[in-house]
Amino acid sequence: MKRLALLAATSALTLGASALHAEPLKIGIIESLSGAQTSTGRLYANAVSYAVARINEDGGFNGEPVEVIEYDNAGGAPDAATKFRQAVADGVDVIFQGASSAIAGQLTEDVRKHNLRNPGKEVMFINLGGEAMELTGDKCQFYHFRFTTTAPMRVNALVSAMKEAGDLGTKVYSINQNYSWGQDMQAAVETAAAGGDFEIVDEVLHDVNKIQDFAPFVARLKSAAPDTVFTGNWSNDLLLLMKASGDAGLDVTFATAYLDQPGNIANAGETALGHYIANNYDNAATDGEFAEAYKGSTGHYPTFVEGHTVFAVGALQQALGTLDFGGGDIDVTKIALALEDTTYETPVGPISVRKEDHQTIRPVVVSKVVKNAEYPADDTDMGFETVEVVSGETAIYPVQDSCKMVRPGE
Amino acid sequence: MEFAIISTLNGVTYGLLLFMVSAGLTLIFGMMGVLNFAHASFYMLGAYVAYAVSSIFGFWTGLLVAPIVVGLVGMAVERFLLPRVHAHGHAHELLLTFGLALIIEELIKLFFGDFPVNYQMPGELRFSAFHIFGTDYPFYRLFIGGIAVVMFSALWLLLTRTRTGIVVRAAERLPAMAEALGHNIPLVFMFVFGTGAALAGLAGAVAGAFYPTNPNMGLELGVIVFVVVVVGGLGSLKGSLVASLMIGLFSSFAVGLDWSLANLLGLFGLGDWARSVGGLLTLELSSVSATIPFALMLIILLVRPAGLMGERN
Repeated sequence: MKRLALLAATSALTLGASALHAEPLKIGIIESLSGAQTSTGRLYANAVSYAVARINEDGGFNGEPVEVIEYDNAGGAPDAATKFRQAVADGVDVIFQGASSAIAGQLTEDVRKHNLRNPGKEVMFINLGGEAMELTGDKCQFYHFRFTTTAPMRVNALVSAMKEAGDLGTKVYSINQNYSWGQDMQAAVETAAAGGDFEIVDEVLHDVNKIQDFAPFVARLKSAAPDTVFTGNWSNDLLLLMKASGDAGLDVTFATAYLDQPGNIANAGETALGHYIANNYDNAATDGEFAEAYKGSTGHYPTFVEGHTVFAVGALQQALGTLDFGGGDIDVTKIALALEDTTYETPVGPISVRKEDHQTIRPVVVSKVVKNAEYPADDTDMGFETVEVVSGETAIYPVQDSCKMVRPGE
Repeated sequence: MEFAIISTLNGVTYGLLLFMVSAGLTLIFGMMGVLNFAHASFYMLGAYVAYAVSSIFGFWTGLLVAPIVVGLVGMAVERFLLPRVHAHGHAHELLLTFGLALIIEELIKLFFGDFPVNYQMPGELRFSAFHIFGTDYPFYRLFIGGIAVVMFSALWLLLTRTRTGIVVRAAERLPAMAEALGHNIPLVFMFVFGTGAALAGLAGAVAGAFYPTNPNMGLELGVIVFVVVVVGGLGSLKGSLVASLMIGLFSSFAVGLDWSLANLLGLFGLGDWARSVGGLLTLELSSVSATIPFALMLIILLVRPAGLMGERN
């Protein structure tokens, strides 16, 4: 009897204690933390954790530190769906994910359905790297925000910067991976042809990360004799393509989207010199303050996707700063509405959300691989030199007709 | 003509690389009946060992040490792991090696990181062998091909022309009889497995310097190597050579060909209709070039389940 009373007393105490605590904001990272895409997934997860640590240094949110929970989607959409359910069960409010458009497509649908079925317990999804056009087209929805570029933004920026630098030429070759992203790139190159005064001499779509030997593709590329090769390839597909064309002694300029993936520059060696990349952020385009701060905390300069991931969390932090739930329940819809109105100042320019489709309007940095760079890549003496920072207004493209967004309360 | 010559060159050299990796797998299966799922991991291990060694002692030392280290790992696997599941049959051996492949991959990530490492061929091998139709042909591709040819000849001579070869083949055909004649069968098997693994290690050390050395390289090549072995006939060395070359040539030629079903239908005046339908009908051969080996495997399995030159059915 005595023991029972003790138990009752303790549980009453714990209950009382928990009532004093405010509800913390929970962030879930559903990333590829094992399997083939670990290298990219890990970077996204690390950068989110870094940026959330900054929020907590500034006092957290709703009277509590912001919590981060990592979920491993093992690089596949089915696992991501399972992990999404787990995240919901854990009470996650905001989901971050970056590696793979296929997984982003799964998550945005899961989020949409969850929010339809659970009004008042909404979850929002910040997409850090899923660049497929359909995510802000057919699949566009209010609780999805894309904090990265898309194919047209990268291609338009590359075309304008390379043309100005006199490196574009008149004959362009397009080689891409045969799935949503690669097809978007190919379509973007086709669209840009008129404005860029170039002719597309040949187009190739190939299997994704299955090809070991790119020599046959280079043979085909060579016979088309282009000046510039546009490619959205990433990982092995980019590295093998560049190495094979370097080995064949081809004199072409590559216009890429993912050349800054760690390991690429070292592996490609001198072959990489003179090639272009358009991405969200590059250290060389800034005064270096953010780069040093990041290095001070993580031990390395922000590379690849880390920079723009930190900015996405930064934008969220700014949006949170305009809200006050007084320690009570967290209303994700209010956070989403606040994020729509946020213009976040990054070291390369402002980022704002376009309300019609939740694509961010953001600057695109076009750089070129040079020797003796300010921020050497992969322990080599090579690195990126900024050619032009294309402003968000210039890089942005029209809202897709297929986007029919249902806003809350409609 | 230019297209044919270049594609043949590329196809043959790539085919020889595939052979180099699949030779060890074929050897192990042919002699021991063990389907080693971790074979491509041995290939990756070879590349990483060569990378680690070569960064201190130079490329050629790496090339020498990698097969030895991987061979020793292979022997350890055969000696200490496989016997435990042998009694339960081939499925368990397959599962064990599958698990091993996952463990090796994660270990590699643990020690060398998630990103590709900077494993490069030495400067003295980085030159173009000849200039053909305005394109340089890298010497290293011929080097890979040459090593594969030497490997095939050496294995072939060893198995058919030497006393050791006779013992190994006897151990495979009639293990009890060979043992009764005084041969140490477990030792023979251990060495066969070790040799198979060492061949994969050598292939990794050679190819890793040309293709990127990253934690996914085993996964990427592993599947295609199995296709080679199945098409060639499980256990047949000659069969894998033929299958490797076929797959190399098919994938190489497919890239340059814009064939699609729509073109074929165009011969019957249905081209415009096919293009308006789109989808599968306008899919170009070049965009599925990496899928061709799998289609080939499917056809072979349907027509000749034992493979091109396989004896086991």
